Amino acid sequence: MSELGRILIVEDDPRDEELTLLALEEYNLANEVVVARDGEKALNYLYCRGEFSSRSNGNPAVLLLDLKLPKVDGLEVLQQIRSDERLKMIPVVVLTSSREEKDLIRSYNLGVNAYVVKPVDFHEFVNAIKELGVFWAVINQPPPGSMKKAP
Amino acid sequence: MTHLAEGPTRLAPRRGLARLSLDPERGRLPIRYGFSVACVAVAVGAALACRRYGFGDAELPLFDLAIVAAAWYAGIGPSVLAVALSTACFDYFFAEPIYSFEVSREELPNFLVFTAFAAITALFVGALRGPISNSSLWTRHQASSPEQAPAGRHGLLRFLPIATVLFAGATFVADTATPLDIEFATLYTVVILMAARFCSPREITLVAVGCLALTILSFYLTPQGGPAFVGILNTAIGLIAMGLVTLLAVQQKNAEASLREHSSEIRKLNEELGKRARELETSNNELESFAYSVSHDLRAPLRHVDGYSELLKKQASSSLDEKSRRYIQTILESSKRMGTLIDDLLAFSRIGRAETKKTLVSLDQLVKEVVAEMREDTSGRDIVWKIDPLPVCCGDRSMLRLVIVNLLSNAVKFTRMRAQAEIEIGYVDRENEVEVFVRDNGAGFDMQYVNKLFGVFQRLHLPEQFAGTGIGLATVRRIIHRHGGEVRAEGGVDRGATFYFSLPRARGAAERKNTQ
Repeated sequence: MSELGRILIVEDDPRDEELTLLALEEYNLANEVVVARDGEKALNYLYCRGEFSSRSNGNPAVLLLDLKLPKVDGLEVLQQIRSDERLKMIPVVVLTSSREEKDLIRSYNLGVNAYVVKPVDFHEFVNAIKELGVFWAVINQPPPGSMKKAP
Repeated sequence: MTHLAEGPTRLAPRRGLARLSLDPERGRLPIRYGFSVACVAVAVGAALACRRYGFGDAELPLFDLAIVAAAWYAGIGPSVLAVALSTACFDYFFAEPIYSFEVSREELPNFLVFTAFAAITALFVGALRGPISNSSLWTRHQASSPEQAPAGRHGLLRFLPIATVLFAGATFVADTATPLDIEFATLYTVVILMAARFCSPREITLVAVGCLALTILSFYLTPQGGPAFVGILNTAIGLIAMGLVTLLAVQQKNAEASLREHSSEIRKLNEELGKRARELETSNNELESFAYSVSHDLRAPLRHVDGYSELLKKQASSSLDEKSRRYIQTILESSKRMGTLIDDLLAFSRIGRAETKKTLVSLDQLVKEVVAEMREDTSGRDIVWKIDPLPVCCGDRSMLRLVIVNLLSNAVKFTRMRAQAEIEIGYVDRENEVEVFVRDNGAGFDMQYVNKLFGVFQRLHLPEQFAGTGIGLATVRRIIHRHGGEVRAEGGVDRGATFYFSLPRARGAAERKNTQ
């Protein structure tokens, strides 16, 4: 395995967070994971402000983004990222329960890199998260300036 | 004769003249002013001819006519020119002393009345006509909505009824109290005509009756000069013209009123329709947000039930007894089933909300596609497919595909226990529609429960016998209903089933175009 990219998970539901982390742990991908519980915190992380003001610079290798979030929702976060010169290259994967066409269209219009519907079935869910983690944090070559760590 | 010429012609701005093709809208300035000069010239000629042949007193109505024509066809500027020219010509040719621009003391009031009348005529005809860029009154009238009709009373026009009464009074006074000879009947006719545009039928009638009374009164009061028959003839013709104008004006008003009534009724219905549409839109939006909420919020807890049960199973499986393991297994299966139900329900609701994109669809090709796919999935089974040639229909291809997929997969599913399954697809030609059927030799159903077949989550078989949530036929029905067709089924227990759906026939080049 080559370098491991940092994954930023934006997820408001603690259970979903736990299940996601479990899935990533199973494949040793959980070390470089940061969780933001709403859109505002996600933007704080990206802009190194608030509770993240002292973090080391650099963008995450991928952002797993839920759509329905308190305060600033997922699409707003996505819009902000894509409209900012420093952030717009970050790969963003929407990870949501919604398979509504409306959400798909809006996400892709805003330039999302992938759209994954969280499967209800646990095995499928774990599988999906694992594949996402492996692909975006390991296989994919992230844009320059992303945070990586040698395994 | 002068009156005869006047009466009907004065009506003209309302209907007839408007259709003549002088087309002032595009006429250039010299043409419009030239038309105005020509009108006055013709009026002078006709009036001189009348005087020459002993009919006298024709100048006033003829000049009026010239001014009306200029105002109507050439616009405000030319009508002012016509007024000026008419006044000058009247002064020169007809006011004592004639052939001079001087005005005698006796003739002065008559001259002033004429000038005032000419100006008023030009003003109101101009107002009636509206901006010269408008099309003819006829089309304007046709197009005018009830909102516009009362708007006619705005500005100067609001004072028209008062002006007409004052003017009629002034004419009467001038005609009877002075030795002047004003064409009162003609003037009244014009007054009524103008009132007709802006007053209610009752007001028109009142004005007409008043004018009539004044006419008769002045006939008795005016000292008669010249041959008596000329005065009587003039008055008689004037009365006839007035009667005619009144009749037409009232009729027109009534027609307008009934038109307005109809328009207001239509408007009311339209408003109602708009309200309904808004209500429908609101409820549709609510439904959409409901479905969205189901899609997003219901799945999450379900995923947690499933996920944590899985984790529990993994964590504690070894320390649990058989019964507890079965309980966990049941929780897992139930959550999976609920997941399927939610997905099915959402797909079903999407069909109701999605827009149908209608094109010409070859059912033949569609069925062949679907059957080819199914053959791959059922390679281990002996299924005899009998596919008749099918027609072209008008509909949403992806939705109709869903119909075919649902019906054919049902047929495949319910013939599972047959050594050799037979599935037939064909159609019956009806007058305006085609009825397609899918027939199988499978488990069939009891006709007693045929009404339940197409309901959401309605099943006539136990889940152990045949898998499924019971959404397939409900989807079929919803799609076919959205296409304006009907569904029905025939069958018998263990004797197979036939499902029919009808679709409107595709015909006409217009529809054909849509497929491009």
